[in-house]
Amino acid sequence: MATGGCNKNPRAATPLTDFSAPFVFGRFQVPVDNPLTEEAVELGRRLFYDPHLSANGKVSCSTCHIQRLAFTDGRTTSVGVSGRPLAFNSMTLANLMWGPQRFFWNGRVATLEEQTLVPLQHPDEMAQNLERLVTELRKDAKYRKLFEKAYGETSRAAIIRALASFERTLVSANSRYDQFLRGELTLDAQEELGRKLFMAHPDVKVSLRGANCIDCHSQFLTGGSSARYDGFSNNGLDDEAHLQPGLQAVTGNPAHRGMFKVPSLRNIALTAPYMHDGRFNSLEEVLDHYDRGIKNSSTLSPLIVEADNRGGAASGRISLHLTATEKVSIIAFLHTLTDHDFVTAERFSDPFARK
Amino acid sequence: MNRMRKIAWLRTAFLAVAAALGVTGWRLYHAAQARELALYFHPFVGKEPLVLNQDRYPNPGGKGRFKVRDFQFFLSNIRLVSATGTYLESDSYHLVRFDGEEPGFVIMLHEVPRRNYERIEFGIGVDATANKSLKQRGDLDPNGRMAWNWEVGYKFVLLEGTLLRGDANDPLVYHVGFEENYRPIATEVPRELRHSRLVRLDFRVDILRLFQGATNVDLAALPSVKFDRADAALIARNFSSMVTPMWKDAASQPHSAR
Repeated sequence: MATGGCNKNPRAATPLTDFSAPFVFGRFQVPVDNPLTEEAVELGRRLFYDPHLSANGKVSCSTCHIQRLAFTDGRTTSVGVSGRPLAFNSMTLANLMWGPQRFFWNGRVATLEEQTLVPLQHPDEMAQNLERLVTELRKDAKYRKLFEKAYGETSRAAIIRALASFERTLVSANSRYDQFLRGELTLDAQEELGRKLFMAHPDVKVSLRGANCIDCHSQFLTGGSSARYDGFSNNGLDDEAHLQPGLQAVTGNPAHRGMFKVPSLRNIALTAPYMHDGRFNSLEEVLDHYDRGIKNSSTLSPLIVEADNRGGAASGRISLHLTATEKVSIIAFLHTLTDHDFVTAERFSDPFARK
Repeated sequence: MNRMRKIAWLRTAFLAVAAALGVTGWRLYHAAQARELALYFHPFVGKEPLVLNQDRYPNPGGKGRFKVRDFQFFLSNIRLVSATGTYLESDSYHLVRFDGEEPGFVIMLHEVPRRNYERIEFGIGVDATANKSLKQRGDLDPNGRMAWNWEVGYKFVLLEGTLLRGDANDPLVYHVGFEENYRPIATEVPRELRHSRLVRLDFRVDILRLFQGATNVDLAALPSVKFDRADAALIARNFSSMVTPMWKDAASQPHSAR
């Protein structure tokens, strides 16, 4: 077994044997210095739900990532210990090992381990001093034992590795869409129409109607592509004057201005409000945005500008020209991405909750 | 004395034979040694090296200038052919992409046996078997940007940008696929490669070739190619001239090993 640099003693943690994911999700990688083990996941789950991780003892990871909302929080933008609203909407934590391996809406970190450090220490989120947190956790006999079993020590590195391990196990793969892909059920006519529209870029020349979703949201993961920055896009939320930096803040490339991470649409019916700033309250508003609310800018994807079911892309007016029936069908398909097992599974739930 | 001379002679003979065997062995060993071969792809629009996101390239068949925002394509099934054997790269599916951060794109071939290779072969696009499969081999990824959906397969060549004509700035979307458009290419390699002195081969990738023919394509008249098979075939007929060996250019010199 690979061992991390922080380990002082060889440990005998148990490799996670029952971990699996659908073939169609594709390859995934677990860092060699943080293998998935039962002990690490158990510890990570406890830390994830423990409000003692924050400076005021009131905010845990689960404050903004609530299981029944597919690990989002239902707010426009999240609120942590300071009570000041944050800049961004809480992201779902489903299927994090697939799609863009850059985290946060603007992709500013490249590993889940690194990601956990940001909310832990951010003055508005959990405002924690990590040295103090390690000292406190060492005083707790239960945590001492869990850390010992998982990593051989209680340390800053072990905290972030455990949190990342738990997050890696958050796989959502039993929605009706997954069951459809496995051939276990057929979608009804409305959902099937929605699926076909989701999976097609419109082409008037061959009478193919489409809603263009798949150009950014991949067919099986329904999230961004993993290669380089392919999983980031400017989806026409703001015009040139109001374009936010987005990915450009990370890469420095002006061509990346206004691009944000394409989120997974798994459990999308549970994760309102939508977009990086939570500006849309319902899926209807989201569909209306893509249908006729697109704002043009220099980095707007040509795939969005060109996608028009009436073939009027060169008219200067951007619209998908979907019918009302088509929009309702797409929303019906989006509801097939809800995974009830994922949002109720005991293994992902709060270990401190009274049964 | 006689005996002593005989021993000295035997010793000399033994050393000579050992040295000869050593040299031959070393030569045989050296010849059998696998090495790496790098394939370099240099993007061009006509004679100009590709620069992304600038309205600088004249519309090949009409008015206005076009800008390239994204350009990538699949290059598959690389093989090196010699009279004594063929090198086949395993899971040979490469997404050749030009993101502007590097001047070109490199494919490293590993463990290439030293042989007198006569030609290199590869395909533009994805062969029919892999195109129908959901298996992730090489850079093939059913959840990647080059995947259409599992009923259609992969885009072989993706070119996205805009065409600027006066005040009009219109989107260009060329997603060219379909199994009939897979194009195998074979090209003779330079003599230096045959003698194993060469460590890289350089290729020119010219975007403009996609739109050239008896009459050049006016991008305003054909701003997108997606699912129409005739349109796709029109662009794909030029796939084989899009990637050309640079060692046949008079100006370029092959890069040799030390």
